[in-house]
Amino acid sequence: MNAWSVHFKNPVPYQQGLEIQRRLLKARQENEIPDTVLILQHNPVVTLGNRGRANYLLKTEEEYRELGIELFHAERGGDVTFHGPGQWVLYPILYLGGNEADSHGYLSNLEEVAIQTLADYGVKGFRREGKSGAWTDAGKIAAIGFRLKKWVSFHGMSFNVSNNLMGFNTIVPCGLVGEPVASLKTILGEDCPEMPAVCDSLLNHFSTVCNRKLERFDADGELPPALAKLVRDD
Amino acid sequence: MAVPQDLFYAKTHEWVDLNDGIATVGITDFAQNQLSDLTFAELPEVGTEFKAGEEAAVVESVKAAADIYAPVAGEVIEINERLEDNPELVNKDPFGEGWLFKLKMVDESDVDDMMDADSYEELCPND
Repeated sequence: MNAWSVHFKNPVPYQQGLEIQRRLLKARQENEIPDTVLILQHNPVVTLGNRGRANYLLKTEEEYRELGIELFHAERGGDVTFHGPGQWVLYPILYLGGNEADSHGYLSNLEEVAIQTLADYGVKGFRREGKSGAWTDAGKIAAIGFRLKKWVSFHGMSFNVSNNLMGFNTIVPCGLVGEPVASLKTILGEDCPEMPAVCDSLLNHFSTVCNRKLERFDADGELPPALAKLVRDD
Repeated sequence: MAVPQDLFYAKTHEWVDLNDGIATVGITDFAQNQLSDLTFAELPEVGTEFKAGEEAAVVESVKAAADIYAPVAGEVIEINERLEDNPELVNKDPFGEGWLFKLKMVDESDVDDMMDADSYEELCPND
């Protein structure tokens, strides 16, 4: 199946990312576009999922503001997490309600994308029973939370590459007490790959695992007209 | 995958059991399986009126939240209160004890726009 991916070079404010996702979601529901994956970095932001509990926030709203971290209640599944530059966020807008749905389930596919990406850099990733996401011996490296509307997905997965993990110290990530958070940088140090290389790995594995051939675009490059009007704010 | 013959199905994976103008609504086996273990079901309030296709409920698993739509128009006359403490009933018995809510239908012919079991099965992955 053919699908599109759109890569954003510069960090995207959370609200803007959300608006782009909502436009794509609606267009996908109405079959105006194929399945489309956004890959981007956010400006520093803490987001709470639907059931996210505020007691997993360790700072006051004012303290977050002083730290330059935005705070959002997101309508996705999952608990609280942190996004910031140096972390890839994958937002797949996929129709999961028909023949193309994988019996392994979407959650498991996203985990697999993270695990295979880690393997590209010699890092052993694994699943943990009852705890979603992708884990390494050093801690959790990829977090997942998504929502389906008319069986089209939005929100998705974040993958820590070289981001400053301090932001995670301001929350109890995913509501899991005492579980460390890792990044490729904390594991590989000097050998940590560059962001563009990890973007390629994530999209390659997404393509294979989710069985979608990706036509790749850059948000500030040439886009199909149907996509341009959804991705750009005019 | 189980698809009982005597129900009506929506493209968005809800089922309807029509009985005397009352539509019992739930989600299909396919749907519960895709969402994996449910941890929460946000059901509508009794008395709420829905048009066909309107968002009526949200079900959540550990990492996913999915919107559920009213497959037919009607007023909510009962919700499955057991799901508050036991959302996993939707996974265990999606076509039975895991029903979500009951609608007093405005127009019974709404189900004519829904699929029968055979058409619905064609929509789902074969495995």
